[in-house]
Amino acid sequence: MNMREKIKAAAARYPDQRSAIMPALLIAQKEHGYLPGPVLEEVADILDVERIWVYELATFYTLFHTEPVGVFHLQLCDNVSCMLRGAEDLLRHLEEVLGITKGGTTPDGLFTLSTVECLGACEMAPVMQLGDDYQGDLDIARIDALLDRLRATAGQATGADLAATVPPGE
Amino acid sequence: MPVSLKSRGEGGKKVMVRVTINEQTLEVETGSTVLQAAERLGIDIPTFCYLKRLPALASCRMCLVEIEGHRRLQPSCATAVTDGMVVRTNTPLIDETRSSMLDMLLANHPLDCPICDKGGECELQDMVMAYGPRESRFRDTKRVFHSEDIRLSPVIIMNVNRCIQCQRCVRMCEEVVGAVALGTVEKGMDTAVTGFEGSLASCDQCGNCVEVCPVGALMSFPYRYKARPWDLAETDTVCPHCGTGCQLTVGTRKGEFMRVRSKAEHGVNRETLCVRGRFGLDFVMSQDRIKRPMVRRDGALVPVSWEEAGDYLRRRLSAVEGKAAGGLASPRLPNEMLYQFQKVMRTVFRTNNIDCASRWSTPFDALGPLVAGFYTRAPLEEVIGNDCVLVVGGNVTDENPITEYLLRDGARRGQVRLLMLSARPSRLDADALAVVRVSPGGEAASLAAVVASIVAAAGEALPVEMLAKIGATTATAGSDETDRLATALLEGRSVTVLVSADLLRSPLARATLQQLNNLLQVLRVLDKGLAMQLLFDRVNQLGAWDMGVLPAVLPGLRAVTDDAARGALDRAWGAEIPSQPGADFDGMLDLCNRGRMGMLYIAGSDPLMSYPDREFVQRALRAADLLIVQDAFLTDTASLADVVLPAASYGEESGTFTNNEGRVQKVSKFREPALDARGNLAIFDFVAALRNQALRPSVQSEIFDEIARLVPAYGGLTQDQLGVDGAFTKASRVPPVGEFFAPPLAPIATDRLMLITGNCLFHNGYLSEHSEILNTVAYDPYVEMGARDAVQLGLSDGDQVVVRSAQSELTAQLKVNKRFPTGLVFVPENYRALRLNGLMRRGEYPCPVNVQKAHAAFEIATVVGVGAGPGI
Amino acid sequence: MFEPILLRNVDVPDGHLLATYRAGGGYQALAKALDEHTPDEIISLVKESNLRGRGGAGFPTGLKWSFVPKRAGKPKYLCCNADEGEPGTFKDRIIMERDPHQLIEGLAISGYAIGAETAYVYIRGEYTLAIQRLEQAIAEAHAKGYLGTRIRGSDFNFVVHIHCGAGAYICGEETAMLDSLEGKRAQPRLKPPFPAVEGLYASPTVINNVETLACVPHIVLRGAGWFRNIGPDKSPGPKLYCLSGQVRKPGLYELPMGIPLRELVEDSGGGPLPGRKIKAVIPGGVSAPLIPAHGLDVGMDFDSLAAAGSMLGSAGVIVIDDSTCMVKVATRIIEFFHHESCGKCTPCREGLNWVVKVLRRVEAGQGVPGDLEQLEALCKGIFGNTFCALGDGAAIGLRAALTHFEHEFVAHIEEHRCPFH
Ligand SMILES: Cc1cc2nc3c(=O)[nH]c(=O)nc-3n(C[C@H](O)[C@H](O)[C@H](O)COP(=O)(O)O)c2cc1C
Ligand code: SF4
Ligand code: FES
Repeated sequence: MNMREKIKAAAARYPDQRSAIMPALLIAQKEHGYLPGPVLEEVADILDVERIWVYELATFYTLFHTEPVGVFHLQLCDNVSCMLRGAEDLLRHLEEVLGITKGGTTPDGLFTLSTVECLGACEMAPVMQLGDDYQGDLDIARIDALLDRLRATAGQATGADLAATVPPGE
Repeated sequence: MPVSLKSRGEGGKKVMVRVTINEQTLEVETGSTVLQAAERLGIDIPTFCYLKRLPALASCRMCLVEIEGHRRLQPSCATAVTDGMVVRTNTPLIDETRSSMLDMLLANHPLDCPICDKGGECELQDMVMAYGPRESRFRDTKRVFHSEDIRLSPVIIMNVNRCIQCQRCVRMCEEVVGAVALGTVEKGMDTAVTGFEGSLASCDQCGNCVEVCPVGALMSFPYRYKARPWDLAETDTVCPHCGTGCQLTVGTRKGEFMRVRSKAEHGVNRETLCVRGRFGLDFVMSQDRIKRPMVRRDGALVPVSWEEAGDYLRRRLSAVEGKAAGGLASPRLPNEMLYQFQKVMRTVFRTNNIDCASRWSTPFDALGPLVAGFYTRAPLEEVIGNDCVLVVGGNVTDENPITEYLLRDGARRGQVRLLMLSARPSRLDADALAVVRVSPGGEAASLAAVVASIVAAAGEALPVEMLAKIGATTATAGSDETDRLATALLEGRSVTVLVSADLLRSPLARATLQQLNNLLQVLRVLDKGLAMQLLFDRVNQLGAWDMGVLPAVLPGLRAVTDDAARGALDRAWGAEIPSQPGADFDGMLDLCNRGRMGMLYIAGSDPLMSYPDREFVQRALRAADLLIVQDAFLTDTASLADVVLPAASYGEESGTFTNNEGRVQKVSKFREPALDARGNLAIFDFVAALRNQALRPSVQSEIFDEIARLVPAYGGLTQDQLGVDGAFTKASRVPPVGEFFAPPLAPIATDRLMLITGNCLFHNGYLSEHSEILNTVAYDPYVEMGARDAVQLGLSDGDQVVVRSAQSELTAQLKVNKRFPTGLVFVPENYRALRLNGLMRRGEYPCPVNVQKAHAAFEIATVVGVGAGPGI
Repeated sequence: MFEPILLRNVDVPDGHLLATYRAGGGYQALAKALDEHTPDEIISLVKESNLRGRGGAGFPTGLKWSFVPKRAGKPKYLCCNADEGEPGTFKDRIIMERDPHQLIEGLAISGYAIGAETAYVYIRGEYTLAIQRLEQAIAEAHAKGYLGTRIRGSDFNFVVHIHCGAGAYICGEETAMLDSLEGKRAQPRLKPPFPAVEGLYASPTVINNVETLACVPHIVLRGAGWFRNIGPDKSPGPKLYCLSGQVRKPGLYELPMGIPLRELVEDSGGGPLPGRKIKAVIPGGVSAPLIPAHGLDVGMDFDSLAAAGSMLGSAGVIVIDDSTCMVKVATRIIEFFHHESCGKCTPCREGLNWVVKVLRRVEAGQGVPGDLEQLEALCKGIFGNTFCALGDGAAIGLRAALTHFEHEFVAHIEEHRCPFH
């Protein structure tokens, strides 16, 4: 299914097309990596809804990105439960080894580092979200191992693979 | 418009409840809010997010009050009164809470009042004065969204730092205007109001968001830094653009036009205006104004003094004394000017060759009974209160935007079932229960089908002899849509029909009006509460009819052939009015072309631009012996005149307009006539004097009184009584004669593209192109068609295209409109450079055309052509 | 030992598959409901059980259902609140990941009871595994006729759709969730009208938490009396407690309603980390005011906690030990609410922004005399005046911290530094 078909299929779940804006944005973001203006227009067009509605949602919800993000988006929870288990130290460590501050992306476009609100996985605090997975019970050693693994994956990938994952505009 | 919170008990009786506020007790209807009840008691409760026209949001928390039995304070704007409720709005806790809300709002507010356009009329300022803390303990850095204001569109500029998040603008844009252009991005403290990707470049530019903004967040760019509110002289008047007749307030500074605002409580519009009303009044200052009188010498128009023009005109007038005369006046002129114009024509030039429409012939034989039998002179808000509203023809969104807002209000609140029947799609279709998209020129046939469907369904309910009469006339087969529409009409207890004047353009206008007559008569027999109004695109079209600026009727819409009516006027005017109907404008042109027209007197109208056959009208205007043009602007028609008399423009003389509702409202002078221009009444005096006649009365207020004396619908009105909301004309309805008309032949299906025209949202007729501000926001000249036609012709949005008819062609940019039916091409009539009427042929409408891509050479030619002034 | 009910499948291998669920007696309750009970009887049963909503407010579930008009002339909707954004809470995720059919069965029975044919499960978008497992379970249930048309030969039709959130805590507030489902910015709605009368698409709508719905099949199978016998009569049933923070064994524990907080923290959680002492516990997610160490004997149920000046909320129990600066905890919590404020009402949007600025300053040692009074004044301006409970939660939480740990705040201001650094 192409993006339009996927969005249409999602929209079929609702009596009102406007309801499908969120699912459509999730689909579009999977497809494009982030949500630049033309993609928002396309979503509005597919669903035949007002463009401003799409824009409103793309900026209201934190999982939507209107700016490009790195290939690996490290989203470290620093809410209370994780904070109490040392999330701050991990953040400082990540900033150091990646050479960026939170919210930033490494110059090679590989890593974006963010802090996020509670991920709903406090039993494994401190925890971070990486793509579709949660990485829990983190400490500095685990983080280093994880970064090594990610760099290796990126190194093995062919240029084309990477290009497919690196959002345009980087 | 009160929030629809009122409810009715069994049998439709109002249920009342008692509420006590600050020890005062009051009875209100159930469903009323505490805020509404307090207002009735004269108790002031501060609000920000509340706006009468909109459902309560209850987000600003300024209006919190104490209600016995509630633990927390309650928002009075959103709390319905219950019986026995005890409310307090004046306790120390409430004082403290209000002060605290303001303290929080001010924490991040830039407090840049000295350079804020809103300073002096800012609700936040006023509220802090009345309820705010005297000092703030906020000592941290303020949030700053941006250091420079954001230009959202050519006319709207935004300072987000000042926004207090009342969301009035966004709700206004979506719920009232229906444009859904403004929105809210981000959340929490980052929340900001803006357009898609930070731009409003493609919105309606109505500026209603600016109007309702309580602070200086959304601002009018043209007015920016121009004046302080306390420096402005404000004049309440009526918008000159469409027949809705919105009230507005013009602000001038040292006699110079500065801005337009609108007031929350007054007029049909209640604070809303469209782009033309809010931003389109600067035309009065246009460079295209006629500077001095001109006369034709050696083939050229040369500026002269008024005296010289008088001498010239006296000579020319006596030369044509024995020949026919004719007059055309613009339906934009105030009642008094129109009344005086027809009086000049009838008494000084002794002719009934008088008209107020250059774009169509008014079939008064069919229109007269319809107007006499059904026209409802009542507030639109009331008329729209019926459970079914059928809008026939035109595009109400573009032609009468404020009327459309009211219709949307009704439809969205679920009180009104909205039914649309037109060739042109409009934005309002989205809120309609049924939409019948007719082929251009097919309105009469579709209406006949609706009537047939109602008759078939109502059957028994109709009297036998009526069935017999209609039976013969309603053979037309309908569609599912016409059936749906008919069903809705049948189910409605009360029905309002709003008819676009656009229908008059067609040579089938008579048939359309007859079918409307059939429809209304059937609905009347079925005992539907009925109302009918016309939707005119010109501000004083109804007034022009009422004033008798028509060949077949006298002031008061009485037939010229009505001896009693004519006799009464003869006596009042001390003159003898010709007893036979005159020629309408089309007939006058015909007289010109046959060499029989001695003098043609045109006041405020530009038929060379608007009459739908440029070749024909041009030939005719040249063939008249003497062409007098009295206008504020240098029009195409003026360029053909023998004598050009510079007249006061809108805003330069006072008078009255009668809007589509039949409401008479004062139009007020807010500046002096430009240059050498004179008031229209003074010019009529001037012309009459050249024929050695004196007009009595000749000043506006006395003419108004004469109208009130001689025109029955205006009977008893006095200027003073017009007040802020105007006053309604009253016409007693003449019961229809019970005649039914046969359905017209259905238009022959054709695969030709059919061109129709009308007004676009940004312009009204040919006047608004003189507004510099409107020109900055209006689209470039365009041609609109549906996606399917475009694909078939290999055209895409934005292409330069040539539209060619048998007569001529024009080039403009293509706008593909997804909602357009196939076969329909629309070109707005508002762009003078397009010379649209060049394509049209006398007596033929819609106009068959071909559309194709323009060649490169053409594109350059058009660019040069666009915006070029009239050919003088 | 209390025998787990809601969690009985979570540690079973392949607990998320239909076969496993059925093997443990799954979908018998649905069959029983459809075969033996009218919808009204189910509502009565749930009323009798005294089941109270597990999403935070503890509203009686059966009563909520009974507000749905019987004849509405419109479709009715059931919405499952699986947004689980309350910091410290992760119970719903575990049910959906490991035992999704338990939720689906609860949804189907509840839908039958209120007359809804469509359910939307609003799951926070981060929960990718839960989303995937629930999708798979819905497909399985469809294939086997537990969902779809004429379920188990009855007249009952029922479909379940998943709607993924996209990162906004406010979507957990039920009316904001409805706006979000309708494709709008998630902001709470005015009440009345209440969702039961005018909710999703202006139709009657019931919103229930995942855990609430998961209780329903057990009530149908085992009876209202059985349910009421677990824990306090007014607030009964098995309960999922999410334990996290500075405690030895964080995790999800199922115990009866009303067990003492101390027992939960010390017995189930193994007590504080080695060498540490407990300073305070947040008993119900960060919206619940903290309880200082001396108050841990309170019962973990809606009424007891309310009486103790806190609340059960989502039962996200966060343990804070003596190594931690309370100003920092308070600041982080307010930062959370500030970040998640939807922006609709003045006191929450503007007030919390001001509070955050003052707290950050105090924490950094740059507080000035008067700051604490200002914080108190802001709490007063916010509490009780906000549009929804988010702002209220922030203000009462801060008040509790200011009351119980005033000395720590004062120390920051007087010493111009954080005493814990
Ligand atoms: C700010 C806020 C956040 C909330 N978040 C959640 C949530 O994540 N999950 C939840 O089930 N209920 C949440 N609630 C409670 C819901 O509004 C609602 O009461 C609940 O979903 C009803 O279900 P129940 O009766 O089964 O508890 C929240 C309420 C507020 C005010
Ligand atoms: S153009 Fe028409 S609708 Fe617009 S403000 Fe003027 S009168 Fe009103
Ligand atoms: S006016 Fe009532 S809350 Fe804003």
